[in-house]
Amino acid sequence: MSEANAIMKPEELQPAAALARKTLEQLDAILLGRKELHRLMLYGILARGHILFEGLPGLGKTALVRTVGHILKLDFKRIQFTPDLMPGDVLGTHILQETGSGKRELVFQPGPVFTNILLADEINRASPKTQSAMLETMQEHCVTLLGTTRELPRPFFVLASQNPVELEGTYPLPEAQLDRFLFRLLFDSMDAAVLEEIIAGRRRGELPAPTWQMERHELESLFQTMDRIYLPRPVARYIARLVTATHPESAEATEPVKRYVTYGASPRAAIAIAEAARAHALVAGRPSVGFEDVKAVAQPVLNHRLILNYQARFDRLNAAKLVTELIGQLDETGLNLPADLELATR
Amino acid sequence: MNASHPQALQAFVRKVRFLLLFREALRWVSAWLFLWGAIVLALRIAGQPAGGWPAAGLLGCLPAALAAVMQARRGLPAFAHLRANYDRLNTCGGVIMAAEAADMSAWESHLPAPAVPGLRWRGRRTWLLLGLAALFAATTLWLPDRLTRLASRRTLEIGKVVGELQAEVKTLAQERLLDDKKADALEKELSRLQKDSNSTDPGKTWEALDHIKEADANTAQLAAEEAIKKTAALAQAQTLAQAMQQAADSGMSDATAAAAAADLESLLNAAKLEEGVLKGQIPPELLKGLTGLNKEQMSRLMKALQANKDALNGTMSDLARLKMIDADTLAKCLGAGTGGDPGALADYLSHCQGGGDPDLLFSWLAHPGKGGPGGGGPAAPMTWQDQVSEKDTKYQPHALPPAGKLDTAQLVGVSRTAPKVNADAPATAAGALDQAAGSGGSAQIQTVLPEQRAAVQSFFKRDQ
Repeated sequence: MSEANAIMKPEELQPAAALARKTLEQLDAILLGRKELHRLMLYGILARGHILFEGLPGLGKTALVRTVGHILKLDFKRIQFTPDLMPGDVLGTHILQETGSGKRELVFQPGPVFTNILLADEINRASPKTQSAMLETMQEHCVTLLGTTRELPRPFFVLASQNPVELEGTYPLPEAQLDRFLFRLLFDSMDAAVLEEIIAGRRRGELPAPTWQMERHELESLFQTMDRIYLPRPVARYIARLVTATHPESAEATEPVKRYVTYGASPRAAIAIAEAARAHALVAGRPSVGFEDVKAVAQPVLNHRLILNYQARFDRLNAAKLVTELIGQLDETGLNLPADLELATR
Repeated sequence: MNASHPQALQAFVRKVRFLLLFREALRWVSAWLFLWGAIVLALRIAGQPAGGWPAAGLLGCLPAALAAVMQARRGLPAFAHLRANYDRLNTCGGVIMAAEAADMSAWESHLPAPAVPGLRWRGRRTWLLLGLAALFAATTLWLPDRLTRLASRRTLEIGKVVGELQAEVKTLAQERLLDDKKADALEKELSRLQKDSNSTDPGKTWEALDHIKEADANTAQLAAEEAIKKTAALAQAQTLAQAMQQAADSGMSDATAAAAAADLESLLNAAKLEEGVLKGQIPPELLKGLTGLNKEQMSRLMKALQANKDALNGTMSDLARLKMIDADTLAKCLGAGTGGDPGALADYLSHCQGGGDPDLLFSWLAHPGKGGPGGGGPAAPMTWQDQVSEKDTKYQPHALPPAGKLDTAQLVGVSRTAPKVNADAPATAAGALDQAAGSGGSAQIQTVLPEQRAAVQSFFKRDQ
């Protein structure tokens, strides 16, 4: 293990962990009542993954994304996806312009995708053609038009949202694009106490400005720290077993998985769990990933990657429930002790 | 509480491994004790003397435990697995696991306090198995000899057969068909067989029992044959004596009486009542003066004859009850010599006036019938004569009814050339495709039955 990749000492990790915690504190202070969601959002950012938000209108999806952009001092753009939105509206297009020398030439006009944080609002309202235009940007972080590839600014995140109830005139995201989202986070309704606090403390629901913003070099240092979080081999094996167990033909698949799942999660899911678990460990101030880090992030990583059969729909079963059951049943270390021997937790 | 996580981890690894080995050793020792107990039991049943069995059993536990340890060592969980579990159970967040790549001592202070995770063993079943095995081994070792002998010498269930044979022997002895000495010997033999019979060698016992049964049956058969002869002679003598008594009242001559008495004496001598196994006796004073027996002596003689006959019949009935002789033999014995008509014989004796033919008398006695001088002779064999010949016999002729179609058949002639075609004759009306449709028709015409009409109509209405 090289010096750059060596496991960090406490004094090396603490500043990054403090930065992460500070970011969370800002988020929790600005947006009330969604602490767990803020954590997952931060894990997604640290893992440099794209996030799909799902929730009813007015629950604060855009506010969250905008606040993250402010705190991280990142460029933020929003596209309202509609059925007539074209790929050029997203990626940019070449327009004919007259140069100073009087010569006319095609000049590339970048689209809103050239930003750090792109909020793709109601992404499922755009046509499959426009949705597919996002594939390269999300995976390769670049845009290729007329044979020219242009790099997107780093970091680049797509934070998309979709409305789960208004399905008229929508185009469900293809599996290939769903798989490119690190997390699918569900926005549920707030409880009365949080709503009361928002109404009482926020005129017209306006968000307070952050009292602290992260500098670009601090964000870079966070990403560098992320790269040095160590993933032990038993944990890597657990992630691999967990993802494999989502396939119905797997030996470790649970009975519900065998019964309800048509296709399990892809290898990209295993990579996503590993990266998100690293972020979880960093925020917790640990230099290595533990089993509990994997368990904390497995649910949002896997819940949009399992393709269930019609039987699951009949039995009103969703992927989240299946993943929860799977995590509960799968032995983390695969120790395979005899049935009459049991390890007792502290 | 351990001083550090590495020490606690080592303690945990030792604990898990020891428990796994110990558990496996207990299972193997249990299996050994069961096996050893079974061997001891088998040896004791086979009658092997108890030597150093307890020591062998206890010493055998050691190799069994060692073998278990050797076997279990191959399946022990790897250190990395146990370390991962220690990390998980102590909520160390992968820091302990990261020790596989680097020294993590700097992080020791950031971890929860080290503690050896608990290991719960629900070993009740294993201990119970061991206890049962030890109990089984101890039981086989200290089981009383009489119980092991019971298992080794299981007697045959021959009580019923022996009881039947004992009854046969007793009956034969009572009827004097067996002498007391031989009967005692057979009784002892039967008792010995019942006591010493062994299920491991049943053939020998059954062979001995069959032999006794066969000897009893032979004795009974011989006695039955003797009884049949004696009963027949006694019955004939009884008939003659009864006839003599009746004839004496109707004026039988002295000469005839003397001849009849001589015949009676010869019959009684032929019976040989005093000989054989079924000994009988006629009062000697009666036998000496058969010629001049008065009426009262004749009655006594007949009673004596009847008593002897009854005794023979009683003996045969007893043998038949024990199934030593069959029903046919018993019937032969009971019916031997019967059928004579003393009245007819008395009539003969009273009329023959001393000129009787002794041979005829014995023939009559041997073949009883309605014979006698006035009543025809004994049963004569049937003869066939005056056979009818079929020669010159005439039968009345009967005409058979004519056959069904032949009465209208008529032979018109035999052709030696090809048959002529008559052009005027009509063509064949029904060909293979007769009435078939022009296209898509069928050689077979399907008739729509009334009950199928509704279905056909609904089929065509469907397209409208």
